Amino acid sequence: MAGAMAAAAGGDSDGESEELVLTPAQLIHSLEQAWLNEKFAPELLESKPEIIECVVEQLDHMEANLKRAKKGDLKVSVHHMEIERIRFVLSSYLRCRLVKIEKFFPHILEKEKSRAEGEPSILSPEEFAFAKEYMANTETYLKNVALKHMPPNLQKVSLLKSVPKPNLDSFVFLRVLERQENILVEPETDEQREYTIDLEEGSQHLIRYRTVAPLVASGAVQLI
Amino acid sequence: MEPAEVEFLAEKELVTIVPNFSLDRIHLIGGDLGPFNPGLPVEVPVWLAINLKQRQKCRLIPPEWMDVGKLEEIRDQERKEDTFTPMPSPYYMELTKLLLNYASDNIPRADEIRTLVKDTWDTRMAKLRLSADSFVRQQEAHAKLDNLTLMEINSTGTFLTQALDHMYKLRTNLQPGEGSHSQEF
Repeated sequence: MAGAMAAAAGGDSDGESEELVLTPAQLIHSLEQAWLNEKFAPELLESKPEIIECVVEQLDHMEANLKRAKKGDLKVSVHHMEIERIRFVLSSYLRCRLVKIEKFFPHILEKEKSRAEGEPSILSPEEFAFAKEYMANTETYLKNVALKHMPPNLQKVSLLKSVPKPNLDSFVFLRVLERQENILVEPETDEQREYTIDLEEGSQHLIRYRTVAPLVASGAVQLI
Repeated sequence: MEPAEVEFLAEKELVTIVPNFSLDRIHLIGGDLGPFNPGLPVEVPVWLAINLKQRQKCRLIPPEWMDVGKLEEIRDQERKEDTFTPMPSPYYMELTKLLLNYASDNIPRADEIRTLVKDTWDTRMAKLRLSADSFVRQQEAHAKLDNLTLMEINSTGTFLTQALDHMYKLRTNLQPGEGSHSQEF
């Protein structure tokens, strides 16, 4: 857990950008990693508010600078192109998270409820507000359209039971960033036995998400 | 992931261009580029190289491996071996496509290169299908996929993982016995 969140220290206090050890280039790189992980992971991953915040800050800063620059300059157009590229990754990442929230909202909110004090939230404040609102709207809608016309004993529906859970057993592709030893692979069929594998740095694997979920969270492997 | 998104990632790779304009260093968020001087080769990301090329502001120097002799060797090696051989670039397919589409006048024997890369790609995809088939048949829980590129993984990845998920569901929920579920694959 600690490795990936080296940047997290500056999250809550002010003057984040000074406290971060990341250079802007590394920042963009970690945004891209978060983007790919989020794209391929079956469940919603921990939110990265400090990365988002810094990227937005960088983009705003650059755009403010560009407003002052003269138009038609080749340099300006290159900067604009880069901004567009970063913005694309950023919005694709955020959109991907929203899609997952819409898909799994009861489970995500449940997890959020049972979260211990001090444990980092997987939702950013904005995403949390969105999830709650989405939940409330869905419930109201179901009630108005169908449930209130039902016999009284059938008027309750549990969203937690009726919305599918993320499938943690799905297979994912990954690339190893930090060497890992003794990863336990569970057997597929009863005849097979479980066995352990070592993940060499730079190697690529196809494996169940459940097996490597902690490694994705810690940043030791990258989903591809 | 969409092929366009893989291509997006490939566009971050560096290529060498020879600009015909001069410009100071550019301080991009992702790092500094330049300075640009007419006639002096400089490394830039592919997205910028293509843009400059389209505006006729540079000449592109193809990557070292984008050469008929080298690619023939790679193709033959790929055909000879049963496993996947290492590729000269993790984005060989995307780069070939991008550079040949936008800068074919700067790449000698472009058509031959296109065919060679396509041949290599086809051989690799055939291998990939074969190994996916045996992976499913043997009901493995883990596979090592070194030397596969992102584009290759993504062109069969979604289909394969979805198929595996379905099979897993069938196996764990309902059928204890061995079915014939791998036949349609």
